[in-house]
Amino acid sequence: MDEQTRTRHILKTLGRPTPKYFIFLLLGGAGLLWFLYAWSYQLQYGMAVTGLGDWGAGGGVPWGIYIGSFIWWVGIAHGGIIISASVRLFKLEAFKPVARMAELLTIAALSVAGLYIILHVGRPDRIVTSIIPAFPWRIHFSPLVWDVTVITLYFVMTGTYLLLTVRRDIHFLQKKLPAVFAPLYRLLLMGYHPSEDKKVERMVWWLALGIILMAPLLLHGGVIPWLFALLPSMPGWYGAIQGPQFLSIALTSALGAVLLIAYIFRRAYGWKDVLPDSAFRSLGSALALFALFFLWLQLQQIITGVFAPPLGVEESTAAKLHQPLYWAAIIPVGLVLLYLGAQWAIRSIFSITRTVVAGVVAVLAVFLEKVLFVVEGLMEPGFKLYQGVPGSYWPSWVELSSVVGAFSFVLVFFLVVAKVMPIVEVVEEEAGASDGHREMAELRLRTTPLGLRRAEK
Amino acid sequence: MTGLNKWDMIRPGWEQDAEPLLAAGGHDPVLGKEAAWDALRLVRGEISEEEFYQKHHQAYLNEFGADMRPAVSVGDAAAPLDEPNYLSGMSRRAALKLLGAGVAGLFFTSWWARQTFGASPEEKPPAGPLPVQMGMVVDLENCDGCLVCMAACRGHNGTPAWTHWMYVIAFEDENGRVNTLPRTCQHCSNAPCVKVCPVGARFKRKKDGLVLSNFDICIGCRYCQVSCPYGVNYFQWAEPETQVHIESRDYRGRWVAGRPPKGVMGKCTFCPERQDEEETKGTAVCALSCPHNALHFGDMNDPNSSPRRYLEQKKQEKGYISTFRLLEEYGTRPNVLFIGQRPSPRARPVEGPVPIKNMGFMESGRAVIKGEHPWFLSAFGGQ
Ligand code: SF4
Ligand code: SF4
Repeated sequence: MDEQTRTRHILKTLGRPTPKYFIFLLLGGAGLLWFLYAWSYQLQYGMAVTGLGDWGAGGGVPWGIYIGSFIWWVGIAHGGIIISASVRLFKLEAFKPVARMAELLTIAALSVAGLYIILHVGRPDRIVTSIIPAFPWRIHFSPLVWDVTVITLYFVMTGTYLLLTVRRDIHFLQKKLPAVFAPLYRLLLMGYHPSEDKKVERMVWWLALGIILMAPLLLHGGVIPWLFALLPSMPGWYGAIQGPQFLSIALTSALGAVLLIAYIFRRAYGWKDVLPDSAFRSLGSALALFALFFLWLQLQQIITGVFAPPLGVEESTAAKLHQPLYWAAIIPVGLVLLYLGAQWAIRSIFSITRTVVAGVVAVLAVFLEKVLFVVEGLMEPGFKLYQGVPGSYWPSWVELSSVVGAFSFVLVFFLVVAKVMPIVEVVEEEAGASDGHREMAELRLRTTPLGLRRAEK
Repeated sequence: MTGLNKWDMIRPGWEQDAEPLLAAGGHDPVLGKEAAWDALRLVRGEISEEEFYQKHHQAYLNEFGADMRPAVSVGDAAAPLDEPNYLSGMSRRAALKLLGAGVAGLFFTSWWARQTFGASPEEKPPAGPLPVQMGMVVDLENCDGCLVCMAACRGHNGTPAWTHWMYVIAFEDENGRVNTLPRTCQHCSNAPCVKVCPVGARFKRKKDGLVLSNFDICIGCRYCQVSCPYGVNYFQWAEPETQVHIESRDYRGRWVAGRPPKGVMGKCTFCPERQDEEETKGTAVCALSCPHNALHFGDMNDPNSSPRRYLEQKKQEKGYISTFRLLEEYGTRPNVLFIGQRPSPRARPVEGPVPIKNMGFMESGRAVIKGEHPWFLSAFGGQ
């Protein structure tokens, strides 16, 4: 397929919206409205409208699906940007067609994560007035401040990253873009000159390097799990394994989410060429790898939790193993791993639909695991004198509405963005590079850490 | 031009002045001189900017490991920017230096933070007399689980039905022994709740070691609650039913006493409003209310305080007493000392002599939500 046909196909998303488009927009909008109604209810009557309660004598859990969702969405965001950055850094060609989708997903998911923090706290009105003045000294102690800091930093980095790469596309396509958004494009292109591309490429490269280094070490393998892993009061949370465990979840869920989004676009616009089979195959193989990591780390925790554990760990592990919902999360991930592994070994059984279904199953399963992790941790505190105090947790309709709201937000986000900018990068990054550079790029391809195959030419 | 070299065209004698300076910088003096010369030509318009930047580019790279001058944007195909791997534009030495500086910076800030904020009393034993640390001696041998303290606390602080700032735990160990244990906040000396609070709302008061929440700035994230190993925090899940009926600000004007407002975290305070008044100083409502002389409140560092005297007296009467603190293994350094048998790790809660339910206490905040149920829940018979 030549460049022009490809570009034409990519630009299909920017065309006149179809009735189906409006139906989805309406659905998303309705979901958002519903969520706003639920939220206003919570603001009016307080957190009592949630299923949360005080742990200990109260028998409840003070952190529930809001925090579980928060970690999950942050995980998707971090995984998404890792996918995109690896395209730039390791020239993972197979992921290239989905790189921008992954970046957009990161922005959407980070916004949702931020929203969940606001939903979770009892006094959203004080977030700015309380956090900012206390920041300079609390940053030395509170893992929650570390989180807020790093997420903000990440938001800025991802936004910059996206903006830098999008400018080139917009400039390149200028005439072909919908005229209604001209003022927006002018704003985005402010000060743009084609000669900046080289410099921008360099900046994007460094940003990608920063992201690749920060995401595993500092973010989803760092401050997010530390929120829990540093607290000995809850034996189910405490411990060094949470870093790698969270990272495996982030990557699993991001790969699954990107699979789903790519699939929807491919179906909607007949993008067999823009989003080739190879992209799905590679995403599926990577997903299998991280699902394997996820299960392996779960196994580590179970074995140490049942062999000769201290009392607190023994009881929290036992509670986990007796919880049917835990198995409802673990078994599907196992099945996904089996299927994707088989598909990786026997290439002839590859099917896009099945790969996407496997991805979605994995994403939902780790979501369940994450919420359970939060809730079960609090249900089994180290202080055993409360054990047996009656109490339970089940998310209330307000909390469940937030899940609807989050998905609706991401749906509307993608619907709107798809009409404004190309959802797949149009200008090939290497376009115009000399042959020597191509060789360099290919050399690096052969040594990619994931060992993923390059997309067929 | 005998005796004159091109350097003298910059200024006679310039070379003699410049050389030691350039050499002191530790870099190639010839490159320095050449660059200076070319800069002069650039100013005179003898060479273009582009030529100027290109001319010494390689030499700069060799000497400094990087060339950050704008040369690179002038669009020469051989310029290092075009290389897909930009690290190669920087020498390994320069990259390592950069990395080294970053790491050193990290170490420095963490050292500084430790010096400034982090030193715990173990590392720096306080000079002079021990600071005032309010705490409690709880005699489990006296407590019979009548729950009067719980009721007194609620009455005094106006806390809502689901909260138990004072909570009497009845438990049974594997030998079938039943006992009761009044549990307050332990007002820890190394309190995890203080450490994790993102806004510094939870703090330890210097004056008397009380751990308090500033109700004016708490954002209600409930991190203190999950980090506290004792489960003593109670959130204000809904608009409180009771109005504040005590003077709720402490001597510095901070709102720390009484029940917290909606969406804010509360817990046993050790009655700061009493500690700030001369007449009531050193007393707490629960301890005053106990009919069985089980709770003894006061400065744990003062041998003449009521808890310390009680301890001494009991030791003398019995010859030997067993004491313990709760969950010391978490390193929280709690300031409540119990007299009696430590509950065994396998001890579990049982119904006490006076069931807590009988006091009209409810189990969870959900039960007391006020306001209308939304129409769709009412349609299905409510939540
Ligand atoms: S008992 Fe809990 S709330 Fe009280 S000071 Fe200790 S950690 Fe903080
Ligand atoms: S709930 Fe309030 S006091 Fe507790 S950690 Fe959060 S902001 Fe601090």
